[in-house]
Amino acid sequence: MATDTHADTASYFEDASGLRSEEMILNMGPQHPSTSGVLRLVLTLDGETVIQCTPVIGYLHRGMEKIFENRPYIHGARYIDNADYLNPMINETAYVGAIEAIMGIEPPRRAQYIRLLVSEMARIASHLVAIGTYGLDLGAFTPILWCFRDREGLMDLFESLSGHRFTHNYMRPGGVVHDFPRGWMQQCEEWLDRFEKVSIPELHELLTGNEIFDARTQGVGYIDPQQGVSFGVTGPNLRASGVVFDLRVAQPYGAYREIAVRPQVRQEGDCFARYMVRMQEMAESVRLCRIALEKMPGGSISQRVPLALRPPRGEAYYAVETGRGELGIYMISDGSEYPWRAKIRSPSFSNLQILPELLRGNKIGDVIAILGSIDIDLGDVDR
Amino acid sequence: MEAPSLLAYDRDHINELLNALAQLDEQVGQPVPKRRLNGGIVGIEIAPERVVETGRFLRDVLGFEMLSCISGVDMIEHLESIYEFRSISRNWLVQMRVKTPSNDPRILSLVSVYSSANWLERETYDLYGIHFEGHPDLRRMLLEDDFEGHPLLKSFRTTPAVVHDRATTQVDAVRAVSGEQQRGQERVVLKRLGQGQQERIHPGMTTFGNEAVFLETGQGVGSDANAMHGYTIDEQYLDPAAKPQEE
Repeated sequence: MATDTHADTASYFEDASGLRSEEMILNMGPQHPSTSGVLRLVLTLDGETVIQCTPVIGYLHRGMEKIFENRPYIHGARYIDNADYLNPMINETAYVGAIEAIMGIEPPRRAQYIRLLVSEMARIASHLVAIGTYGLDLGAFTPILWCFRDREGLMDLFESLSGHRFTHNYMRPGGVVHDFPRGWMQQCEEWLDRFEKVSIPELHELLTGNEIFDARTQGVGYIDPQQGVSFGVTGPNLRASGVVFDLRVAQPYGAYREIAVRPQVRQEGDCFARYMVRMQEMAESVRLCRIALEKMPGGSISQRVPLALRPPRGEAYYAVETGRGELGIYMISDGSEYPWRAKIRSPSFSNLQILPELLRGNKIGDVIAILGSIDIDLGDVDR
Repeated sequence: MEAPSLLAYDRDHINELLNALAQLDEQVGQPVPKRRLNGGIVGIEIAPERVVETGRFLRDVLGFEMLSCISGVDMIEHLESIYEFRSISRNWLVQMRVKTPSNDPRILSLVSVYSSANWLERETYDLYGIHFEGHPDLRRMLLEDDFEGHPLLKSFRTTPAVVHDRATTQVDAVRAVSGEQQRGQERVVLKRLGQGQQERIHPGMTTFGNEAVFLETGQGVGSDANAMHGYTIDEQYLDPAAKPQEE
C-alpha cells in the first residue's frame, strides 16, 4: 500500500482531528504568463505553502557560446543582442568591450559617450518592462500600457539611430556604427523631459501608493545581503538589500570614468524595495543621459578597426552593469578570426538561483510576486 | 581630459591585492603563479585538489564574498575551469585558473563555500563534462537530461556526420500513387531514441517517453497474420512480457 511506505511522513501531515493531507507537486510553466519566456518551476506544496521549488531552465537555450566560436568576431556583436533581449545595447557594449580589451584599444571619447547614453536609455527601457509586467503579474493592467507607451519612444529613437528597433547591431570594436541623425539629440531631450515630468510621477501614482500593490510587495521575498552576495545576486536585486555594488561605480568603464553614477540603494530587501530601486534608477538614468547629451564631445565615432578582425592572442574578462546586474564576457583569442571562447556571465542566471531560497515557506500566491520582483529574462538565463 | 584615478585600475590597489595573495603560497604549500590581466584583474593558478581550501581562504581571509562566474575552456590538451571571485568590500577581482586533464576531468566542488557555485558548476558540467566532486546535485543545467555529449568541447560535432532520411509515419504521396507503398510491407520498428542518433522523429508523431515507433517501408518479414494489418514488428524490439503467449 502506498500509504504504508509513507508512514512517517503521513503522521507529519496528520492534524489533531485525524485528517490527513499530502504534499502536492505543482508544475508551474513552462508556459506561464508571468515568466517572460519559458521557465518551469516544480513546486512542492503543503496546502498553500511552498516547501520546495526546483526551477527547470534551458527551454530557450540556443547554444550562443558555441555559435560565437564558429563565427567571426563581428557576428557575435550582433547575436548577443538576443541574449538579454530587453537591453541589447548594453550586451553589445560588453561584447565589443571584451574584444577591445584583448586588442588593447580604446574607442574615441565621443563613442564612449554615445555608448553611455544608449546604455542608460536601454536601462530605462528594460526597467520599464520590468515594472510594467510586474504590475501585470499583481493584477494591475494599466502600468504595462503606460510603460510600453513610454518605451515606444525609446524604441523609435533607437530605430532612427541604428536602423533597428529591437536588435540594434550598433556597437563595433573601436566605436559605434552611426553618428546621430539630424535632430536626434533634440528628440532625445524632449523624450527625457516628458518622461521625467510626466511618466515617472504617473507610474508612482499608479503603483507606489497603491494599497493592493503595497500589501502584495512589502515584507515579501526578503533577500538577506550576505545570502544574496553568496548566491551571486547582482544589480537592483542586491542594491535593494543595502549592498552598494554597482559596476558603473566599482569598476567604471568607458565614459562612466568621467560621469559619476549615484548608485541607488535601499535597505529593506523585499519586493517593494526592488521595485523602488528600479524606479529610482530610471530617474538616475535620465540624469546621466542629460549629462551625456550636454557634455557630448565632438570628433570621430570610431577607430579604424579592420572588419575581418584578428585580435592578438590573449584573454579578457569585461564586465558591465546591465539593468539586471553584472554581465561579464570572458573571451579568449587564439589569434584567429574566430573567438576560441566567449563565455557570457549572465545576471539573470545568477539571480534566478536564489529563487528556491526565497520561495521556501511562502504562500503560493506570493510566488508570482517574488518571481516578478527578481526580474529575470529567460533569454539571458538560457543563452 | 585625463581619466580620473580609479580604484580598480590603480596600480597601488593591484599591488595591495598581490601582497595579500602572497599569503596564499603558505596556505597551498607551494608558490602560486600570479599574473596581471587586463582591466585590473589578477590571475592565479591552482591545482584541482586545492580548490576548496583556496576558495575558503579567499572568502574568509581576503574577503572575496562572491563567486561571480565559472567558465569552462577546452584547450584540447586539457580542460580549464576559470573562476572569477569578486570582493565587494575591497573592490578586487581575482581570476582562478584550474587545469584538469581532458580524459578524466575532475575538480573539487566549491558548493560548500559559495552557494552560487551550485548552478555555475552544473552548467560547466553540462557543457564541458567536468566532474565537480562533492557537488550535491550534479545534473545537466541547460540541456535535457538524455543529451549525449558535452557540446562546448571542441570535439563535439555541431552537425551529424551522416544525415538519414527523416523517419515518418505519413504515407508518401508519390509512393502511394506508384503502388510502392502497397507492394512493400511496412515494418514497425521500435527503437530506443537518444541524442546522437541520426534519426529524427517526425514532428507530428506520438512518442512515449524515450521510445518511438518508426514505420519503415520495405520488403516485409513476419507472419501472415501481421501482414494483414499491414505491418510486422521486429521481435527483437518487443518486450517479452508484452508478447502474446502461444498456446
